[in-house]
Amino acid sequence: MMGPVLGQAAVPRDIGVFEFLFGSEYWTGPGGILASLWDTLVMCSAVMAVATIIAVPLATVLAHHGRGELSITWVVTLSRAVPTFAVAGLLVPISLRRGWGFEPWPIFIALLLLALPPIYLNTYTGVRGIDRGVIDAARGMGLSERSVLLNVELALATSVMLAGIRVAAVQVVATEPIRAFLGGDGLGRYVRDGLGQNNDNLLLAGAILVAGLAALTGTIFGLMRRLLPPGVRRLA
Amino acid sequence: MALIGPSGCGKTTTLRMINRLIEPTSGRLEVNGRDVINESLTELRRGIGYVIQQGGLFPHRTVAQNIATVPRTLGWDKSRVADRVAELAELVGLELTMLDRYPDELSGGQQQRIGVARALAADPPVLLMDEPFGAVDPIVRSRLQDELLALQQQLHKTIVFVTHDLEEALKLGDRIALLNVGGILEQYSTPDELLRSPANTFVEQFVGEDRGMKRLALKSVAELPFETGPVIPDTASSSEAVATAEAQGVEWIGLICDDRFGGWVRVADLANGSVPADAERFPPAAQVTPDSTLRNAMELIMTSRTSVAVINDGGHFGGVVSLDAIRRSLVSEPDL
Repeated sequence: MMGPVLGQAAVPRDIGVFEFLFGSEYWTGPGGILASLWDTLVMCSAVMAVATIIAVPLATVLAHHGRGELSITWVVTLSRAVPTFAVAGLLVPISLRRGWGFEPWPIFIALLLLALPPIYLNTYTGVRGIDRGVIDAARGMGLSERSVLLNVELALATSVMLAGIRVAAVQVVATEPIRAFLGGDGLGRYVRDGLGQNNDNLLLAGAILVAGLAALTGTIFGLMRRLLPPGVRRLA
Repeated sequence: MALIGPSGCGKTTTLRMINRLIEPTSGRLEVNGRDVINESLTELRRGIGYVIQQGGLFPHRTVAQNIATVPRTLGWDKSRVADRVAELAELVGLELTMLDRYPDELSGGQQQRIGVARALAADPPVLLMDEPFGAVDPIVRSRLQDELLALQQQLHKTIVFVTHDLEEALKLGDRIALLNVGGILEQYSTPDELLRSPANTFVEQFVGEDRGMKRLALKSVAELPFETGPVIPDTASSSEAVATAEAQGVEWIGLICDDRFGGWVRVADLANGSVPADAERFPPAAQVTPDSTLRNAMELIMTSRTSVAVINDGGHFGGVVSLDAIRRSLVSEPDL
């Protein structure tokens, strides 16, 4: 399971870190850096999309009705207690026994559990933190509940919610490479291969790639704030 | 109409039942003769303006967008909304340059004006106001109150106004409903009646010991019977002047020339027989208009050298106000 992956360009043992990172032959082709990056991005995007689709509506509706105050405590506790690697490791044998293979379910579910709490928490507290007077006035003016929820509560919570999504995205991108240790591929493969082949420079280059992607993700989500309507953007 | 009472008396609850932010558990509540329970929530609320403390403005919307909320949900076209926003801004005294700013960039008083403008946007016949001026400083509050009174002169809305401030209720309310803890209606009457004849000891305590003084604030100088006081034409002779002063027991005498008040002269200065018109004149320190409150008139009289205040009716002499006249106005009501 930890051996060199088929189709990957052979990486010489004595390669330098920069030689690897700037060598175009290592970027292209099957098993190249671009292909691994794509693998990682697809997995992370899927996790983030599903996490957002689950957490945002759930948190918004619960917060709108003032329900589920206790769920906050649970989610906080759980998010601190659940080790992603252990969850994924636990899920691998289950997945194998059911004939679903190494990929993608174990890692997907483990990452989902990592991404849900920050999005849920921020959306919930964002909606709950809105001045009651504003919501009261909105209702009193005859806005429908739907409109209060979407145009007032969700709009006002957008900034806080987006901050939660950003935290989740960075965590997911930074954690996804463990997939390479669970029978998968992705950007983590260079770390794994570097370890397996006792190639420190490859290991280091892999770590740089992973860290770089995580930093880039944080920056991109930070810049996404600029896409918000001006009224919403200026609130945070 | 003003709803007033101590904390927990249910004044806000009562208000919120009118637009069904709180559902009444029993009883009937009618707006325009129709039971609110049978109305659709959004329809009902769009016909009732709602103003709360600090405005409850949308922080992510500009002032113009805030004011346009209801017209836009009603589907008005853009130019009509824009016209209405400009009209309302002028009505509540907002500069047009403020329309593109966000609520938190404006002062508390401005925000309150925006709240009122937003509530009036679709011209609802009924306006509910829940302690709208509770969060602004006393000077701004007093100005907002005056503006609201002026606005009401033009608009003639049915306004239900919740406050815990008696002065505010007395100033703004045509009628006052005084509630007690538990939602008990203690008295429903005009402000003057509330002060003149409290229904029970609770009302008496609530309005305070100086209710006579408070009533003075409700009455205007114009309500007093006309009185000329120690005032003579400036063509009068000194003996006429001295005779008038002695008859009224005063040391100062006022002169009228051409229907205007010409100033006060000291009776002592006339003792040597000089003509009043030649005597040294003092400008009237105590001057009121027919719209001034009696409280205001009294304050001026108490702090001036003459014992009466001159009424300046648009430049013309409109008589005088004496302390005695003020006192009589408080006791003249039949049932006291």
